[in-house]
Amino acid sequence: MYSDPSLTFETVETHSGTLREEIALFLKSNGLGMDDDIEQFVIARCKRHLVACAGIAGSTLKCIAVDAAWRSTSLGLKVIHEAEAQAIQNGEHQLFLLTTPCNVKAFRGCGFYPLVTLDNRATLMENTPVGIHHYCRKLRKHHQVNASNVGAIVMNANPFTSGHLYLIEQAAKACDWLHIFVVEEDLSTFSFQDRLAMVQEGSRHLPNVTVHPGSRYIISRGTFPGYFLKEKQIVNEVYAAIDLILFRRYIAPALNIRQRFVGTEPFCKVTAQYNFAMHHWLEDETIMADAPIKVNEITRVTDENNLPISASAVRKSLERNDMEAVTRMVPATTLPFLIRWLSRHPFKQSDYNLANVG
Amino acid sequence: MKIVKAAIAGTLESSDLVVKVSPAEDGLDITVNSEVYKQFGEQITAVVKETLSAFNITQGEIIVEDKGALDCVIRARMQTAILRGTESKEIAWEKL
Repeated sequence: MYSDPSLTFETVETHSGTLREEIALFLKSNGLGMDDDIEQFVIARCKRHLVACAGIAGSTLKCIAVDAAWRSTSLGLKVIHEAEAQAIQNGEHQLFLLTTPCNVKAFRGCGFYPLVTLDNRATLMENTPVGIHHYCRKLRKHHQVNASNVGAIVMNANPFTSGHLYLIEQAAKACDWLHIFVVEEDLSTFSFQDRLAMVQEGSRHLPNVTVHPGSRYIISRGTFPGYFLKEKQIVNEVYAAIDLILFRRYIAPALNIRQRFVGTEPFCKVTAQYNFAMHHWLEDETIMADAPIKVNEITRVTDENNLPISASAVRKSLERNDMEAVTRMVPATTLPFLIRWLSRHPFKQSDYNLANVG
Repeated sequence: MKIVKAAIAGTLESSDLVVKVSPAEDGLDITVNSEVYKQFGEQITAVVKETLSAFNITQGEIIVEDKGALDCVIRARMQTAILRGTESKEIAWEKL
């Protein structure tokens, strides 16, 4: 293997200020911006000059650039190889890569396969030829139900509220079988394990429901990072579209899903935008050949004060230790999880007596 | 022997290959992609299977991304990936 001895690779954390600026400038000179969620960059230098970089955001590689003078060499391949090795060291074996459609061919040569392309704007790729197909094959094999009217809900359930319960009950009534996908990414107040268990407990009384881990293909940091940056209110329509196309093209056909249910969203801008995008990317028959999925928005339930019940309202009440408000908004099956959560986060509660909780 | 964790070996430089192994429950799942698949696909697959059976691996997901490597290279990358993926401490060299 020929390699230029003057080339050096290193991994840098993005919080180091001057380096960050240098990389941002380099990206800019290559017509790219720097995404906020990138934690590390793998950079290549030749005689101290920055000649290539690749950003790592969890399990996604992006903001990848190679200096124009180096593009006919195999530097791109090398920097991707180094970035993949770094991601593996971070514990991420299955990687996504975000790029523009015109660069797909170059990354194909680096072992990445296209999953979804959004017009001429973006392509999401993954570093295995079989990842999504194996996931869908598993879904089909273990969970496909012989019914004509199958529905799906994707929820974070952070935590599982009476609103979620109402949505599930309405949806389960409206279809023969209902698949619920719980967002698997562990970036919420409640752990994935707790959220999954809350949904399972809360829907146990319904005979026609399957609760699934959402996998890396449904609202994960790879398919929809904006969802986890809600505080910043960055609405990334590109990612929302990618996530939805992925659902329509791969996941829905694996389980014969014809309908998706969602609660109306009065509070969170990101989720509201996602709901809006849902109608376009799932329902519109003219944008792609894959079978359309009907989107049903179900009006949220409200509490006695006519305020819509939401998981964020529950979290706020939890932080205030207002257990009375909390019990009004969650089903009984959720309470044990909240109590356990409170006992693990003692700094947030004052002298509230847990024994008082219903 | 069983693949107990995801592991990788090799590069995508010309004449090399990347082997990725990961745990799987139901049997062997082998995917081979090669730039020279038309001419050598069968031969590559045969070498891959042969290496797996030398280690007595019957379960796992194996992905091979080949850039025109020779058989000995394929064998070497396969062995490395398997040894990493099975967390083998002792190596039975005579079997390889």
